[in-house]
Amino acid sequence: MTADAADADGATSTEPATESDPDAGGNPDADVTAGTTHALDGDVILRLRDLDAGYGDLQILSDIVLDVAGEEYVTIVGPNGAGKSTVMKTVFGLTTHMGGTVEFNGEPIHGLAPERIIREGIGFVPQNDNVFPGLSVRENLEMGAYILDEVPEDQIETIYDRFPILRERSDQKAGTLSGGQRQMVAMGRALMLDPDLLLLDEPSAGLAPDLVSDMFDRIDRINDSGTAVLMVEQNATEALRRCDRGYVLVNGGNRYTDRGDVLLADEDVRRDFLGG
Amino acid sequence: MGTTDSSIVDVARGRPGLLFVALLGGLLLADLAAKLAGVGLGPIGGAVSVDRLGSNLWNGVVIGLVIGLAGIGLSMTYSILSFANFSHGDLVSAGAFTGWGVAFLIAGFGDVPVRALLTVRDAGNASPGDIGAHILSTPGAILLGLIAAFVVTALLAVALDRAFYKPMRDRDGIALLIASIGAALIVRYLLQFGYGSDRRGVTASVEQSNLAFGPLGVSVNAHELTILVAAVGLMLAMHAMLQHTKLGTAMRAMADNKDLALITGIPAERVVTATWIIGGGLAGASGYLYVLLRGTIQFDFGWLLLLLIFAAVILGGIGSVYGAIVGGLVIGVVFTTSTIWIPSDFNQAAAFAVMILMLLLRPEGLFGGVSTA
Repeated sequence: MTADAADADGATSTEPATESDPDAGGNPDADVTAGTTHALDGDVILRLRDLDAGYGDLQILSDIVLDVAGEEYVTIVGPNGAGKSTVMKTVFGLTTHMGGTVEFNGEPIHGLAPERIIREGIGFVPQNDNVFPGLSVRENLEMGAYILDEVPEDQIETIYDRFPILRERSDQKAGTLSGGQRQMVAMGRALMLDPDLLLLDEPSAGLAPDLVSDMFDRIDRINDSGTAVLMVEQNATEALRRCDRGYVLVNGGNRYTDRGDVLLADEDVRRDFLGG
Repeated sequence: MGTTDSSIVDVARGRPGLLFVALLGGLLLADLAAKLAGVGLGPIGGAVSVDRLGSNLWNGVVIGLVIGLAGIGLSMTYSILSFANFSHGDLVSAGAFTGWGVAFLIAGFGDVPVRALLTVRDAGNASPGDIGAHILSTPGAILLGLIAAFVVTALLAVALDRAFYKPMRDRDGIALLIASIGAALIVRYLLQFGYGSDRRGVTASVEQSNLAFGPLGVSVNAHELTILVAAVGLMLAMHAMLQHTKLGTAMRAMADNKDLALITGIPAERVVTATWIIGGGLAGASGYLYVLLRGTIQFDFGWLLLLLIFAAVILGGIGSVYGAIVGGLVIGVVFTTSTIWIPSDFNQAAAFAVMILMLLLRPEGLFGGVSTA
């Protein structure tokens, strides 16, 4: 177990240059329907295998297979009710696990409480109500590092550098911020422990149209600085354009998976999921 | 209200209830002014001296502080655990009995049998004068009794949580509310079993306890001053804890959004335990102070006080700690000043009338929507 983890760690630290370069190749012959075009094993930090999950007795996901490599940017798209958000919540231990495995850095994490999963190095930004409205911006960020003994001032500075408006609004209650600023607080909170993997559930939901591409730019920069991103998005075209790889989910199961640009170019995907 | 600056008439048209309350309040104030001037204006109540009004207000503030202190815990458990805790009143009683047991033990040790001291004079043996518990004669005993009331009630609250509420953590608020009524009955009748059911005097009387104060000539006694200092001190400590400590911030975070607190990694159970310790402890302290104010104790006084505590918390906006304090003060002042117009048998009714008006006009309460912060 420890040897595995060490292996995976070693791999992630030596790999970054080889993966996640969308300009390399443009392989048009990739098998879109196979659902098995996964990243190399040594590089994978999050690995879902034959995952069944749901809420109580209600099963939503069946046999989900999904990988995220270190520093990779992966999106999940699909119609409403496909179970996209449920995948995220399952990774974070918020659903009922019914079968299969979730491994993070080589260790099984299914069945762990969210508090433990945070310690493993995963941050989660839920879609709705993702800030504490009665707490100041700074207090929201501090809560993100609750499990540490000391408030990590340098990490707060890093987040203020990433989102300068938050430094200005530091003492303001998060509930008084605009939608875009709240989303920054939510991401900042999830980044407080400098996670290896950031889960983003519909980051563009509820944002004014002119703020959406700004938000995607920010996510790009988070990913560029070395944090792997797994994102669920309604705005499928933009999400696939930005990501390294995409998964198309339908009815709680895998449908297609491939590089984002390949999925975007695929006629079936375009017709069925991207509205033409 | 949408009306920017138009006119009072528009506001009145939009909110006739508010207009009615404003008129009623104005009428009462005018009547009060007339009464103070010695003119018999209104049909009810007699003349009122400035002294009497002053002492009514002062008494209202003191009782309001005690109610507000008790309300803090009720509001905290409501906002963090999402249920109305009906056993809170009996925590108030439990704190009073255990705290006064300790205060008696220290004040009267050697002069009076220990059993009579610890049971707070069950069966009427030994008089309060023999024990001599008073802030002027035995300040150490009174202070240690307050601390004991806080600590023992905090432990009791945590024990009740472990026994009843923790196994039901995921159930809805109604199920928990009913469980809390059961817990209330258990605590109340255990108190009756241990301490007996008769109402008895507790504090000794000491000369020079009354201090005349200020331009109004309001009479203030040493126990009222003790309550003022203790209650305000505990409230300030509470404020500092909520606003400036990690635990306090986590409590406000959980009150804001429990699901987000979970995925943020805030250890919910630890915050819940701290909530019971602080909320229960403050309930116990307030019960102890209430007995210091009234001078008598009875096994079910906390239960009877619970309605006023609920009125204060609802008035302030349930879930808000600061609302509970302000609501307590309003209820306390209404409670005492209403005796200018109505017989004192009915002054609880006046307090509830204010609460009902608040529910009709501003259902979210004075501090509504601010939840704890």
